Amino acid sequence: MEAASVPAEEPRQRTSEAAWELVSKYGLIALLLALPIYYGIQDLSDDGDLSRLGNNLVDGLSNGAIWALVALGYTLVYGIIELINFAHGDIFMIGAFASFGLWGTLGLTAQTSTVGLVVGLFVTLLIAMVATAALNVMIERVGYRPLRNAPRLAPLITAVGFSFILQNVGILWLGASQVAVPDLVGSQKELVAIAGLSISRGDVLAVAVTAPLVFLLVAFVARSRLGKAMRATAQDPEAARLMGINVDTTISLTFLLGGLLAGAAGLINTLYQTSVWFFQGFTAGLIAFTAAVMGGIGNLRGAVVGGLIIGCIQQISDNRIGNEWTPAVVFAYLVLIMVFRPQGLIGEETREAG
Amino acid sequence: MTAIRGLRQAPWAKYVLPGVVIVAVALLPFFRPPLDGFMDDCILALIFVTMALGLNLIVGFAGLLDLGYVAFYAFGALVGGWWASDHFTGVNGEKGIHLGVGDFASNLPGIHINFLLLIVGAIVVCAVAGAVIGLPTLRLRGDYIAIVTLAFGEIIGRFAANGDEVTIFGDYAISNGRESISPLDSIDLLVLDQFDSALDLRPFYWTMLAIVLVALIVNIRLRDSRLGRAWVALREDEVAAASMGVPLVKTKLTAYATGGALGGIAGVFYGLYLNSINANQFQFGFSVFILAMVIMGGLGSIWGVVIGAVVLAFVNNRLIPDVLDQGFVNDIKNDIGLNFSFTEVTFGIFGFVLVLMMVLRPEGILPERRRQIELTEGTGPDESVYEARA
Amino acid sequence: MSCLLVAFALGISACGSDDDDEGTGGGGTISGDTLTIYSSLPLQGTSKPQSEAVIDGERLALEQAGGKVGKFKINYVSLDDSTAQNPGTADEAQTAQNARKAIQDETTIFYLGEFNSGGSKISIPLLNKANIPQISPSNTAVGLTTDRPGADPGEPTKYYPAQKRTYARIVPTDIIQGAALATIMKEDGCKSVHIFNDKTTYGAGLARNVEASAKEIGLSVEGNDGTDRNSANYRSLAAQIKADCFVGSGVTGENYVQVFKDVAVACPDCKLYGPDGVAEASFTDPKEGGIPAAVGARTKVTVATLSPEEFEKQGIAEAEKFFTDYKAKYNIEGQPDPYAIYGYETMALALDTLKAVGDKANDREAVRKQLLENTKGRKSVLGTYDIDENGDTTLTDYGLYTIDNGDLTFDKVIKAEGG
Repeated sequence: MEAASVPAEEPRQRTSEAAWELVSKYGLIALLLALPIYYGIQDLSDDGDLSRLGNNLVDGLSNGAIWALVALGYTLVYGIIELINFAHGDIFMIGAFASFGLWGTLGLTAQTSTVGLVVGLFVTLLIAMVATAALNVMIERVGYRPLRNAPRLAPLITAVGFSFILQNVGILWLGASQVAVPDLVGSQKELVAIAGLSISRGDVLAVAVTAPLVFLLVAFVARSRLGKAMRATAQDPEAARLMGINVDTTISLTFLLGGLLAGAAGLINTLYQTSVWFFQGFTAGLIAFTAAVMGGIGNLRGAVVGGLIIGCIQQISDNRIGNEWTPAVVFAYLVLIMVFRPQGLIGEETREAG
Repeated sequence: MTAIRGLRQAPWAKYVLPGVVIVAVALLPFFRPPLDGFMDDCILALIFVTMALGLNLIVGFAGLLDLGYVAFYAFGALVGGWWASDHFTGVNGEKGIHLGVGDFASNLPGIHINFLLLIVGAIVVCAVAGAVIGLPTLRLRGDYIAIVTLAFGEIIGRFAANGDEVTIFGDYAISNGRESISPLDSIDLLVLDQFDSALDLRPFYWTMLAIVLVALIVNIRLRDSRLGRAWVALREDEVAAASMGVPLVKTKLTAYATGGALGGIAGVFYGLYLNSINANQFQFGFSVFILAMVIMGGLGSIWGVVIGAVVLAFVNNRLIPDVLDQGFVNDIKNDIGLNFSFTEVTFGIFGFVLVLMMVLRPEGILPERRRQIELTEGTGPDESVYEARA
Repeated sequence: MSCLLVAFALGISACGSDDDDEGTGGGGTISGDTLTIYSSLPLQGTSKPQSEAVIDGERLALEQAGGKVGKFKINYVSLDDSTAQNPGTADEAQTAQNARKAIQDETTIFYLGEFNSGGSKISIPLLNKANIPQISPSNTAVGLTTDRPGADPGEPTKYYPAQKRTYARIVPTDIIQGAALATIMKEDGCKSVHIFNDKTTYGAGLARNVEASAKEIGLSVEGNDGTDRNSANYRSLAAQIKADCFVGSGVTGENYVQVFKDVAVACPDCKLYGPDGVAEASFTDPKEGGIPAAVGARTKVTVATLSPEEFEKQGIAEAEKFFTDYKAKYNIEGQPDPYAIYGYETMALALDTLKAVGDKANDREAVRKQLLENTKGRKSVLGTYDIDENGDTTLTDYGLYTIDNGDLTFDKVIKAEGG
């Protein structure tokens, strides 16, 4: 039940709430723009042009595309059952590990021909996506469904538990240190230079694979019958059940979609970073969750926008402040958003009250 | 027969069992050699009991899901690092500040203060830290509180790990980064000889046991006090609590501060016991470890949490490395051909324990009465016990 | 309740004064005929192959001595100072536990460890209080034994609370390695150098030494930046490099494979140099998760060990014999891990020290004195050397290695300028 800590609503209350809504929205936008603007001015005075900031943003957008894919998984699940799926970041990590494993099985190396690489990577993408999707559905079935009626604390803790189990699977699989992965596509090689900005192959790859997946997902949720079932369940599960929607299957479908996207993100990330690590899921999960909250939890467009923004902030922080401070910067943003504008930029889309 | 029944009804009857246990635990070191590995595990178990009791205050009593408890451990340990080592060598013209310390430390540069003062310092620092961490969470829902506290835990961990680059008051770094601050002063209780962890672990054991007893007393008194009942009211239904006159802000912040203070005391002791402080220890996994103890024992149940903490501490330090990895289980496992060591899967095992507990017995080993009723008889699908929104 | 508390207070004070009588600290004599030698190395993560080579070397030496010294049987116990959460390096809590385990064992006569300098910071004070002689096969941080440049203030006194030395090492300190790296960079034609360090005791300390030596020798140092092991990549950090040479002062376990990869891309013409912290297969061999072959071709590594051929050239017959025996016993083709010979020498030094004190091999104080005061002109597989009063060796040769096909290949000896 919704509980307000202030009992009555009076007209004066509504105006001040509306005012706060505007202030917090523009405040958040200002906060997000603070870093780029500050460093942009610094660049102009130091170098005379914005190319360094521009490069940061290019890297940021491609990294952000990966975060967007993971954030979509978080936002879909939260929207439908109001659970922060802690294990989702680790599903991403398993996707990365699975991709690396598949390269070995398919015999893909840096010397494979272009056609071979394209076909091989496509096959890897499909298999990894299916594997992570299946894993996600299984986790939901085993861990979250029995706790559907328990207090909120229970599935959250279960999610943490699964996160740890998956991390340990990663440790057993490839060890506890970072593992270097063959650079199949030469992801750092510059593909094109526009206006002084260097765009690498990895950047193009990230956006090229992410964009169609996002469009497909949004179209699916907006147009298809199952998508409509998802939206209905997210809005009001009881009413959806009354309308004949199988809520359990719909929730499983949501997890499936989230898992598919996480698997794809895992593959792209591996190609981009050329390394995998059992712990990458934890960090990725928190960054992606920040992105989802920043855009507005439950809101698909919000997750994508949030992902891109967080990617940019992350790159700027890496480059200017130092990459040991970046997690602190991202989490600081998370705390600020949660405190001052928990509905994010675009607005939440979670269960309606009642 | 009636005599025994009469005894059972006596007002001091409920103290018998805990009293016997405590006396037995206190006498334990007399039966073991002074530097025993088992004693080492017991001391660690006592440290974790204190921390679990602290987290129990926040999560169990007040119902605020705190996933960043490692922040209080970090602050406690850093208090030890700042004020019981030669970390701040430049202070006072290289002569240092000394308050009530023994001979060896009196000649070292840096700030060195007595252990009892360190505890006071840890309480103050962690209470303030708790209030600061709790402040942003005041108007948030249950799962958002989890995320914000987790974020704080990570931010503080990061500051500790990068602390060698952050300087205050001139060029005093706040921590030594990835290099540890070591060695630290030995615990010196002034009336006794200085403790020495290379020679005899028993004084450490008894000191920590005394701390645990104080923590238990504090918890029990709080639970039965007005503040404790305010916490329970807060946990069950924030709106009703507010309308009954419970001051929400003060109650929540007190929960964080008190729980944090206990974590800080344990943290200071832990740092001094290990003789070093390293930012690598301040990870999210630690928070989950303590949370697992609280959940396993039973949220809000004091004795349950004690049991949960002792069990998991021993599983972590003894069962997995010493028993499983070296006993017959290891041989069976190697015969089957599985090539891993159990220590590698420690966290997986804890994750598994969490999942299992939540699915099968969410009320914990020794549940608190009220919680047991809630969880077994269930609440409706729309009523989530932690939901409260501004 | 309060009565119980009073009882405990009494209990504590009653037992507190027993402190000095307990334990075998302070140079007690071990009873019985078995002596135990503990080895503490990081056995998880990227360090595993190298630590296992050290253990193999130690076992070989023990085997060749017949498993006993005089009338004493030697019991060898290998401990792991890393943990699953903190692999590839010494974990502090675990190291403290290992040290305490050795202290608690009344038959301990030697402790061979740690491998990482950060771990020794923890074990040296504990073992010092218990007067257990300690030898490290690989620590190079300056501050562990002396207060020369590269040490932190307060070092080394703060590691020796018993106010006498119990720790020795058989590798030269990083003053020498820093000078060696600077020398080789100057020889290769570098004008400026950029240093990264992994912020551990070893990496940060060595970086300071490299910086000092480089400046002394006339190279300009463009920067000395810390790296964080948890970062996914170091591209933005590497983008700032403008020097023509790069030194990555870290160990493989701190994600230095990724560091070198990113620097190689960011600075395509830089020459890359690594210290002994990356002198292992998990760094050099792409098949074991190491740097790609293209990066390996540009990298040179310094390690204090020399090749079998070089030992032969210097006329150290013992070394030749070691390589033959080691390769035969463990079925190795090609050159063994550089640290295998250090494992061997660590154990050989320990056993020879015990042999030299004869019947007093069960007396920790006698063994300690022999190790630290009487080890002079020792002929060993590494050459002839003394252990000085600080516990340091007088050897100063460093080997320069290139990376060929994923393997470390000996190039030449560096006689470092300075140090």
